[in-house]
Amino acid sequence: MSAELEVQYDTLARQHATARLGMWLFLASESLLFGGLFALYAAYRFIYPAEFHAAAAHANVVLGTINTYLLLTSSLTVALAIYETKHARRHRALILLAITIALGVTFEILKGVEYGQHLAEGIAPGGYYSYAALPAHGAVLYFTLYYLMTGLHALHVFGGLCALAWLWVLLYRGRLTPDSHLALELGGLYWHLVDLVWIFLWPLIYLVN
Amino acid sequence: MTKPDPSETSEPDGPSAMGYVVVWIVLIVLATVSLLVSQMYGGGGGSGELAISLTIAAVKAALVAAFFMHLARGRAVHSMVFAAAIAFFLLLVLGVIADVGTRSIASAYVDDVGN
Repeated sequence: MSAELEVQYDTLARQHATARLGMWLFLASESLLFGGLFALYAAYRFIYPAEFHAAAAHANVVLGTINTYLLLTSSLTVALAIYETKHARRHRALILLAITIALGVTFEILKGVEYGQHLAEGIAPGGYYSYAALPAHGAVLYFTLYYLMTGLHALHVFGGLCALAWLWVLLYRGRLTPDSHLALELGGLYWHLVDLVWIFLWPLIYLVN
Repeated sequence: MTKPDPSETSEPDGPSAMGYVVVWIVLIVLATVSLLVSQMYGGGGGSGELAISLTIAAVKAALVAAFFMHLARGRAVHSMVFAAAIAFFLLLVLGVIADVGTRSIASAYVDDVGN
């Protein structure tokens, strides 16, 4: 991250503190973006409890659970990458960041496999749903929300991966130092938010069967 | 311009490397407990089971926020933003549940509540 002091700040530390607060405000707004979908989920689960259970039993618990472990682990590796950067161990930080990216990419691949399996069965969102074995109304709503919630989350994972890849390059080029690595810190915060959202999606989508 | 208080502007303190690993182990154990609970009660599909898994999720989220995101030793204003986000989130979700949950009562008094 460029260590240039902007005109409205008296010190770089204060500028960074403002950026940190800005990031937290952004994360708060992100949580409300997901909040709308969680509210929809709550409403339809309340109206169609039996159908939601039947549909959730059809979700791929194995892939969903593997993805949970992947994301939890990636949160650890990104936290450690920041820790190692702070302690001037750039080589370790690069490896940890690369592992984080690999875990995120694996997450996305497994999600793609899962979508592929569902689509092959005719389980598509909204009006494209054609899977006869599950009760009509509630199951369509469950799977439409499934695609919306996990899809929006997968987009966030993708955005996070782009940011992490960019940070890896910055770190590799020596642009992130023990004293100045704000971008990495903020990128890490964003990645943890992606993990936080999944922590709640996993039980709601996969464990309610 | 006043000099900034270093504790207000420095990077929030996190745990040690071992501390991060311990938090991760706890997270993995909690996720496994959540999975086992859902498999044990699988088929029953009660809301009690959902309450348990959401409680475990809340504990996991708190651990991630406190230690990985450095809220535990960071500035109070970060925790305030986080707490406000949770409050608004709950207001939204609980408000919607309160609506759909009371429509049968409301329909006794009003004709067009959509049920």
